[in-house]
Amino acid sequence: MKYILMMTGKKSDFEGYAKWSKQDLQANVAFMRAFSKELKDSGAFVSTEGLGWPSEAKLVRAGKNGEPVTDGVFPESKEFLAGYWIIDVDSPEQAYKIAARASQAPGLGGKPANMPIEVRPVLGSHADLGL
Amino acid sequence: MKYILLMSGTRAGVDTYHAWSAEDIEAHMAVLQGIQKELTKTGEFVATQGLAEPAEAKVVRGEKNGLPVTDGIFPESKEFLLGYWIVDVATPERAYALAGRISAAPGPAGAPTNMPIEVRQFATYQPTSPSTDVEKCNVGSD
Repeated sequence: MKYILMMTGKKSDFEGYAKWSKQDLQANVAFMRAFSKELKDSGAFVSTEGLGWPSEAKLVRAGKNGEPVTDGVFPESKEFLAGYWIIDVDSPEQAYKIAARASQAPGLGGKPANMPIEVRPVLGSHADLGL
Repeated sequence: MKYILLMSGTRAGVDTYHAWSAEDIEAHMAVLQGIQKELTKTGEFVATQGLAEPAEAKVVRGEKNGLPVTDGIFPESKEFLLGYWIVDVATPERAYALAGRISAAPGPAGAPTNMPIEVRQFATYQPTSPSTDVEKCNVGSD
């Protein structure tokens, strides 16, 4: 069963993150690397990506002529996707356990950041939608 | 440059899909599959993924002992990720154009859904981010 683990944050969270000390950032990065390696070694790893900063996010709709209409204004409360992991595990419990580890990644002063991680099953194909 | 095109919606928004006729859903999927096929041909396609319904979403945190604490209660306003496309394109404008086409995919009675598509670059391709350490943070493959 494939699950996606999503890390999100408001623009202000991202700004806070940018102010972390080098040491705190290094500890966080070291954790993330070790975490990815562990997922790979255990065979649960499918993919992971980090996204660019919210300041570069655009919201796109199609105009009447089909041309894209872009907008970069978001509400303050908007939760931006910061990054994700896709894992392939035997049970939802296993996915929650792995998400809990990601949540414990070191934050300010090396303390667990305790970030909420959203866990969702991913669909194998359109057939999963019952279409 | 790699971009991710994110399609999101509130729970109420997702519920409206259930009212679509089989014909409307088929027409919608045909357009999305056509776009995917075209992107595969042009070499711009990287990945696409649909997510399960918001009803199955959980928020997980680690307890002090490292055990997971799960919660499935979200505010009504919560925007759930419904699916995404990852594309590798030459310019941001091309990414916006593709997002526009996805936004124009037909909905009920064939009218364009006009869904907003969030377009984001990947951290690995963002030389202007405040810290290179941050950039490296979520890179999957070293």
